[in-house]
Amino acid sequence: MVQSRREFLKRTAALSAASYVGMTLPFREEGLARAADDTVWHRGSCRLCGVGCRVELGVKDSKPVALRGVPKSRTNYGYVCMKGMLFWKVMNHAERLTTPLYRAQKSDKFKAISWDEALDIAAGKFASAVKEHGNDSVAYYGSGQALTEETYFFQKIFRGGLQTNNVEGNPRLCMASAVGGYLTSFGADEPIGGYADIEKADCMFIIGSNMAEAHPVIFRRVMRRKLDNPEVTIINADPRISLTSRIADIHLQFKPGTDLALLNAMAHVIVKEKLYDKKFIDDYTTFKTGKGDLADLAQYEIFLADYTPEQAAKTMGGKVTADQIREVARRFATSKGTMSFWTMGLNQRKQGVWANNLVHNLHILTGQLLKEGADSLSLTGQPNACGGVREGGGLCHILPGHRLVAKEPLRNQVEEAWGIPKGRIPPKPGYHTMAMFTAVNEKKIKAMWINCTSPVQSLPNCNLYNEGMARDDTFIVCTDIFPTLTTELAANLVLPTAFHFEKTGVYGCTERRSQLTRKAIDPPKGAKPEVWIIREWGRKLAEKLNDPVITQCIKPFEGLEEGYELPKAIWDEYSQKLTKGRDNDLRGATYEVLEQMYDGVQWPAPTEEYALTGGTVKKFVRGMDPMADSHAKDDRPYQFYGPAHPDQKLWIWMRPQADPEEIPDAEYPFYLSTGRIIDHWHTMSMTGRVKELLRANPYAYIEVNPVDAGRMGIKPGDMVEVTSRRGTNVLPAKVYEGPIEGMVFVYWHDQHPDRMINKVTKDAYDPGSKEPEFKICACKVQKVSGPKALKPYIV
Amino acid sequence: MKRREFVKGVAGSLSATFLLPAAARALSLIKSPVRTNRLRPPGAVPEEIFAGKCIRCGRCVEVCPYRSISLLDIRAGVYAGTPIIAAEEIPCYLCMKCVEVCPTGTLLKIRQEETRMGIAIVNRHLCYTWQSFTICRTCFDVCPYKEQAITLDQLRPIIVEDRCVGCGLCTHACPVTAEDGQKAINIEPIHAWERVRW
Repeated sequence: MVQSRREFLKRTAALSAASYVGMTLPFREEGLARAADDTVWHRGSCRLCGVGCRVELGVKDSKPVALRGVPKSRTNYGYVCMKGMLFWKVMNHAERLTTPLYRAQKSDKFKAISWDEALDIAAGKFASAVKEHGNDSVAYYGSGQALTEETYFFQKIFRGGLQTNNVEGNPRLCMASAVGGYLTSFGADEPIGGYADIEKADCMFIIGSNMAEAHPVIFRRVMRRKLDNPEVTIINADPRISLTSRIADIHLQFKPGTDLALLNAMAHVIVKEKLYDKKFIDDYTTFKTGKGDLADLAQYEIFLADYTPEQAAKTMGGKVTADQIREVARRFATSKGTMSFWTMGLNQRKQGVWANNLVHNLHILTGQLLKEGADSLSLTGQPNACGGVREGGGLCHILPGHRLVAKEPLRNQVEEAWGIPKGRIPPKPGYHTMAMFTAVNEKKIKAMWINCTSPVQSLPNCNLYNEGMARDDTFIVCTDIFPTLTTELAANLVLPTAFHFEKTGVYGCTERRSQLTRKAIDPPKGAKPEVWIIREWGRKLAEKLNDPVITQCIKPFEGLEEGYELPKAIWDEYSQKLTKGRDNDLRGATYEVLEQMYDGVQWPAPTEEYALTGGTVKKFVRGMDPMADSHAKDDRPYQFYGPAHPDQKLWIWMRPQADPEEIPDAEYPFYLSTGRIIDHWHTMSMTGRVKELLRANPYAYIEVNPVDAGRMGIKPGDMVEVTSRRGTNVLPAKVYEGPIEGMVFVYWHDQHPDRMINKVTKDAYDPGSKEPEFKICACKVQKVSGPKALKPYIV
Repeated sequence: MKRREFVKGVAGSLSATFLLPAAARALSLIKSPVRTNRLRPPGAVPEEIFAGKCIRCGRCVEVCPYRSISLLDIRAGVYAGTPIIAAEEIPCYLCMKCVEVCPTGTLLKIRQEETRMGIAIVNRHLCYTWQSFTICRTCFDVCPYKEQAITLDQLRPIIVEDRCVGCGLCTHACPVTAEDGQKAINIEPIHAWERVRW
């Protein structure tokens, strides 16, 4: 700062005068009062977790200034969590990507190029990969945070245009097992009820979920229910005592991986004490052996004979008593309405689908389904895993509208809707996530598009897969708003995109609810919405491959303005043509309807008038679900019209207790589990850039049980090395009565190479859902030094 | 501003200084720097005798791995050279290394849980959770004595006064910063004012 002698004297004099008389210069408040008035509030959904909170972004002088909850929304009733309240701060962040970046070799430095050049390169690389190595040498890896329009449009170009089913997304790492569970038990994906049951439930069974950290707003609703009605029972089953356990009447702390025994033992008690609902079982239920053969209640009872509460308590490690299991089973069965919640604790497991089946079993047995306050509700991790990826066709084996790739008539329906030749979509499902990155390692994939996610950090056993991604054999395009570990290590081409509220689109949350977020402000100059990128890239691709079918895929969207008109046209095509007559019928949920709603619409919603009422609160119930009426096969009150069960019944599965892939031994004596903290979202590329959130949790740490810590001489703050057969981390310790003895727990958000826990986790996966077992592996733990000052690390 | 007014102003403020009683000036040089969020390291003896006991050797500053402790400079008058922790900038991580190295017993050799640098006070008018703006549990999450020093009542933080060590981790992490720099949870060093029993 340059200042003249005169100014210097003036300031000195004024300051010294002020300080000598002890005066503080008065604060001008009139500016503040005006600030609130000219702020315009734009309604939308929260960008972060799967709860689906409705929020309003405050915009002043076309800059975001604040974010608040929408009190009339049926998901959050005006509440938001800290990261939800603060995520708007990343919109103006200095590190936002604003120009396409390219490097020919991954060892080179990025240089800025124009959009035209960037899309030319992207189209050229994909086209040459297809020509030289075949259609299956290209792949798309998307995200449960991409808008439905984006996922749908990407998969349309890949399937219809490039003729490959290599369309995957990070929801494979997150809720694939829940999909498997719902399909095999209920015959239709996604929960029957929703959050509305929380306020009616009398017993809540929370297993494998730390909802207090991961779904704080839903946790608040559960807590409110408990506090207002102390007679409501809350049961928490988890190897780790967490914040969620604070409101629990009973906490069942078991050895990791033994929950299948617990769930079977609960079923044992229910069957033995005849607490099941005989009529419900007779009317709506089929029993299945593990192999899928027909069975009956008597056979089921024989199967359960091995799971006496005593035996299960022993298997579970001895901290739970047989009487506790009996008590839990009785309360589960006899309450007026029982709700179950789970998340990654059941899903991210080698027996993920089985664990899901066993929870559903309890609900089917006791008839704790379809009535008020009773539901088997899988909480989703990401804001649009349900809407965009499960419903929009974002996984390798499914097409939009819950259609299976493998079924020819369903493929033909999609081809017809798109106006492309029959047989254009290949019949074989593509690579699932773990197979896709294995194929990258094996150099089978030559060009890959990674959208809105950072697999370099989020894949289990990531060292192994990062090797392949870092090689120059695979050309990788990344679309993101910030640099991530993936853009740094793996990308050849980085395309800057518009953020939430800078583009328009729909998110579908846990409870089948689709909600619209309209564009509120312009993206930073140079950043573009994904839908525009796909369209422009698709046009160049059509040219380079000289393929009129690709042109046909983008034809309905040509010439539309990308901020609103283009996503609207995509949504219309998807909802009107592809969800028609499917169980996720969204024809009523047009942009016009969604814009009017404070929250959104729960499908099935076949007509606009019905959608305006909010849609279907409970599936399968006649009088509440229009599809249950239109698809009824008899006059019973519940109609299970789901596409996966030809007998239109609920199936009870006999699934035995099975060990996780890796169990502790003499060399690696500890269980390792990972999880999330309230202040950070996934790989921290957004929340790490909000200084309030970073300050609250600057780095990951390892939680060690006080007994183990005492034995190993670990004190709070000490640096601890955690090693598995795959990798090593060094983290500060928290000695905390959280994890059960013999188990350690690490948060997975940290980007620092020493604290990236996915280097240590195991990449075994569920044979059915192909979801990896992030939650359990064996490790050894040792103190390396006393406390050290650490710095947070963001790419 | 005209030259004349400027000269007037300078002359006025200078003469005002001379008019201040000498006692007041002297007081500002012997006033303890300990106040809200300005704390002595763990184990510190009361302020009454701190400046007299501390030999300003700076060992506590040197040993602190987190650089939480800094030395006061000449503006602190007779307290110049004594250690201080600015809780909202870098709090005390309770590694207890400073109490080990203090050669004079100004920092008494106490255990971590015996530390009493102050107590945390939640400003319920500022706190997002108490104001029902949002669900924030940051202070509870970062507290080294979770469930003991801070508990939650319907997700709202409550301080347990006789367990809080006053380390300031909560103050540092608190996402709320008011216009005057205060956080929604602040450390009041009440133990510093205890009288010494001779």
